[in-house]
Amino acid sequence: MVEIGHFALVLAFALSLVQSVVPLFGARTGNERLMAVGGPVTVTGFALTALSFMALTTAYMQSDFSVANVWENSHSLKPMLYKFTGTWGNHEGSMLLWVLILTFFGALVAAFGANLPATLRANVLAVQGWIGAAFFLFILTTSNPFARLVPAPIEGRDLNPILQDIGLAVHPPLLYLGYVGFSVCFSFAVAALIEGKIDATWARWVRPWTLAAWVFLTGGIAMGSYWAYYELGWGGFWFWDPVENASFMPWLAGTALLHSAIVMEKRSALKIWTLLLAILTFSLSLLGTFLVRSGVLTSVHAFATDPSRGVFILCILMLFIGGSLALFALRAGSLTAGGMFQPISREGALVLNNLFLTTATATVLIGTLYPLVLEALTGDKISVGAPFFNLTFGALIVPLLLLVPFGPLLAWKRGDIYAAAQRLMMAFGGALIAMLVTVLFIDGATVFAALGIGIAFWLVLGALTDLVLKSGFGKVSGRIALSRLAGLPRSVFGTALAHLGIGLTVLGIVGVVSFEAERILTMKPGETTEIAGRIVRFEGLRPFQGPNFTEDRGRFVLVDAAGKDGAALISSKRFYPARRMPTTEAGIRTMGFSQLYVSLGDELPEGAVVVHMWWKPLVTLIWLGGLVMMLGGAVSLTDRRLRVGAPSRKPTRIADKPKPAAS
Amino acid sequence: MFWFVAALLTLGASLAVLLPLAGRSQGDSSESDHDLEVYRDQLAELERDAERGLIQPADAEQARAEIARRIIRIGKAEADRPRGMRLPKLGRLMGAVAVLAVPLVSWGLYGMLGSPDIPSQPLQERLAQNPADSTVDELIGRAEAHLASNPEDGRGWDVLAPVYLRMGRYDQSVTAYRNAIRLLGSTADREAGLGEAVTNAGAGVVSAEAQQAFERALRLEKDQPKARFYLATGLVQDGKMADAAAAWQEMLAVLPADSPWRQPTQEALAETRKRMAAVTGETPASGPTQQDMDAAASMAPEDRKAMIETMVTGLDEKLRQNPHDAEGWKRLLRSYLVLGRNDDARSTLERGLAALGKTSDDGRKFAEFATSLGLPATE
Repeated sequence: MVEIGHFALVLAFALSLVQSVVPLFGARTGNERLMAVGGPVTVTGFALTALSFMALTTAYMQSDFSVANVWENSHSLKPMLYKFTGTWGNHEGSMLLWVLILTFFGALVAAFGANLPATLRANVLAVQGWIGAAFFLFILTTSNPFARLVPAPIEGRDLNPILQDIGLAVHPPLLYLGYVGFSVCFSFAVAALIEGKIDATWARWVRPWTLAAWVFLTGGIAMGSYWAYYELGWGGFWFWDPVENASFMPWLAGTALLHSAIVMEKRSALKIWTLLLAILTFSLSLLGTFLVRSGVLTSVHAFATDPSRGVFILCILMLFIGGSLALFALRAGSLTAGGMFQPISREGALVLNNLFLTTATATVLIGTLYPLVLEALTGDKISVGAPFFNLTFGALIVPLLLLVPFGPLLAWKRGDIYAAAQRLMMAFGGALIAMLVTVLFIDGATVFAALGIGIAFWLVLGALTDLVLKSGFGKVSGRIALSRLAGLPRSVFGTALAHLGIGLTVLGIVGVVSFEAERILTMKPGETTEIAGRIVRFEGLRPFQGPNFTEDRGRFVLVDAAGKDGAALISSKRFYPARRMPTTEAGIRTMGFSQLYVSLGDELPEGAVVVHMWWKPLVTLIWLGGLVMMLGGAVSLTDRRLRVGAPSRKPTRIADKPKPAAS
Repeated sequence: MFWFVAALLTLGASLAVLLPLAGRSQGDSSESDHDLEVYRDQLAELERDAERGLIQPADAEQARAEIARRIIRIGKAEADRPRGMRLPKLGRLMGAVAVLAVPLVSWGLYGMLGSPDIPSQPLQERLAQNPADSTVDELIGRAEAHLASNPEDGRGWDVLAPVYLRMGRYDQSVTAYRNAIRLLGSTADREAGLGEAVTNAGAGVVSAEAQQAFERALRLEKDQPKARFYLATGLVQDGKMADAAAAWQEMLAVLPADSPWRQPTQEALAETRKRMAAVTGETPASGPTQQDMDAAASMAPEDRKAMIETMVTGLDEKLRQNPHDAEGWKRLLRSYLVLGRNDDARSTLERGLAALGKTSDDGRKFAEFATSLGLPATE
């Protein structure tokens, strides 16, 4: 089975070579048979990659230590779930997952692309083939997961304990679905450049793909952030760590792409810019893969001592980013540009959104790459930390957030900024009240907190205002308004939900950053402490034997005002003997949207232990906001318009004058 | 089996390239048809929305005009477009190359990268197979798996403890000895073994803990040679040369003539006397020298190795006289590999194959066995 998986991988590589050359050649020469090769080859390539991935997964689940990769990353005593997820908990396996998802998306294009013009379809599949061939070759030559060991050892070295968590089952697949989903937009963009024209079908395909990839990437980032929060044991949700930035940059660019694709779809404008954004977004995904996978982040010098992988990915990076941008430079001039438009309009607002988002992406990119470049050139090691990002990124994102509620309220072609502002008066009032309440009743000392909460309420209420106005509440009777609400296009709900989600995330971030309480103390069994008005009693440590670890479990009980015991939470320190590694398992108790977070430190004599305790108000909103954003994307994706490619059918009642519904 | 599946997969992959090439041409569909389809969809959607009243008539009219303008535009673009060049000959060549490339690239690359002869080895199966065919590692793994589910089986710990010691896994040996003593009770041999494991885990220094174990062993059996030997080594490490020499002297007096401990004890005694002579008149040694530690750490295992080698030589000799013993050849081969004498192992493989016959059933099994130990038979 193992060797069949290996062979299937090699075969998939061979097919990806055919896929990269034959359909492209067919499209150039107008040979239909050659173009027709693309579809079956892509689907077969996916089937073979899936077989190969299954073989590796089987080896993991059966603890086949004759496979070097399994020996390095698994252990026979590990729970079955972590044997399974351990398949992609390492470099080689995760790259295999990467190409599996790539070929999966290729197969989707092949399967559902029957309504695409034959040449466009052939070119898109060929470009997907190039990406596939490059990564197959990378896996086979530098990171082969099927390398064998003879004689097979009897026990593996175990997976890094931090990864032995349900998070590994969710985070990487979601993240890769997002990263690689943008490859389809990239392939469409490059195919359009090769053909030298942008078809109507092009616009029709790019937005749903962008939406789907964006939904997955949003989920992947949110999940990764929550995972780091509860697993690393110090309760941070975002560290501006280069690995995080690597996934955040494609998200920012992808968000920009999402919005510019709307303009392209509705107004046939911004075509070339959208195309460039599609290329940039996937390039940033590739860059993210390079940063995480080449080891360049740990140290530029470590990278230099074992550069085979890094140099290979760097070549892929230059080939695809450089190649596509060069193609863009050559061809963009000959593409038909879209129409013109007024600055004050929905399109104008979306362009403004794009400007902010791309600048923000550039800021994060500079902050991430500058230390690497500096270290490579001068040998100085500096770290660009949260202060840089908070200052620059914050300065860019706050005005953008302030502008968000205006966008959906502006009409296409000619918007009326004053009318939109008037309609947002209620939301503005609500935000002001929230700020006043914060200053007067919660904490008058921090202006930042009041402003942040104001912005969060502004976003949430602004999103709701859009729905209320479009369904006509207050102008018509409640029943009619409700039926109008139900009849609104799904994309309107999608927009409102996504914007509302951002508001929730902002509220969570502001809540936790401004009002967090923290205590570090030594506790003996039976002692109590107070945090943020809550009394917590420590019950003592108890040993516990897990399947492949031992742990000391500390039990904490919340005591209410009357002295009665309430909810309990368990925080523990684990030790994994196979890797001789300790981990902390934070104890978390959710109350409303807030959480009590307890982490154990060193043990002291007489059963005492160092306890690190946080009260994190509204913290879950950070990730709930992400979920709401995902939901918004998913709702928008089900909009019928995306499937039939009809022009806008924007209800006109929200504007002063009837506006052209389509263009 | 593997080659059959591989051939099947290759066939399937090649067909995925071949079939579309051999298929019939679907007729010339112009690209503008697809754009037209999109616009037709848009018109249909517009009509539906207009019917349901989602869009006002004036807007619908404007939208209709806009779509019509787009349709006219693609009509023009189509007329301006140069027709694609057609090169049927080159196309056919390209198709042939593509079909051939699939098997050539895949089999060529797999030939370089793959290891088709290594079967999958799921752990469960390896632990379930006949113990006679298992490697030492697998036998230990089997015992470990057994003990993981029955940690109160003292006999298992008792068997495993000396094996760990011999393999240099000292920490695990200490644990195993402790468990065996806890579950089965203290004996002189177990206590002495525990002492030896603790000593080796501490890089050869006879620590207080090891010393206590040896003393417990001597309380149970006055003349336990291992315990006495190590206690004397401990004296050397404390700088008490004279005491150590006396202890060894005393030990030699009671040691049976055929005891394997006789020779190391004599050597240690001689070495200690020599050093005592060298330092006489000088300040007394304050602690163990590097040499002492090395001597203590290496002497006992070397002694054991000598014993094994004697046995192996005996087996080798026996097989020379009676070569038709398949099990004997396997044992000899494994022994040489365990001892790290790879050249001897290889010659054993050749000799065994010659004696058993390469094509005979036993001969083939022997070759497979050698391959499983990482020593493939050369043709």
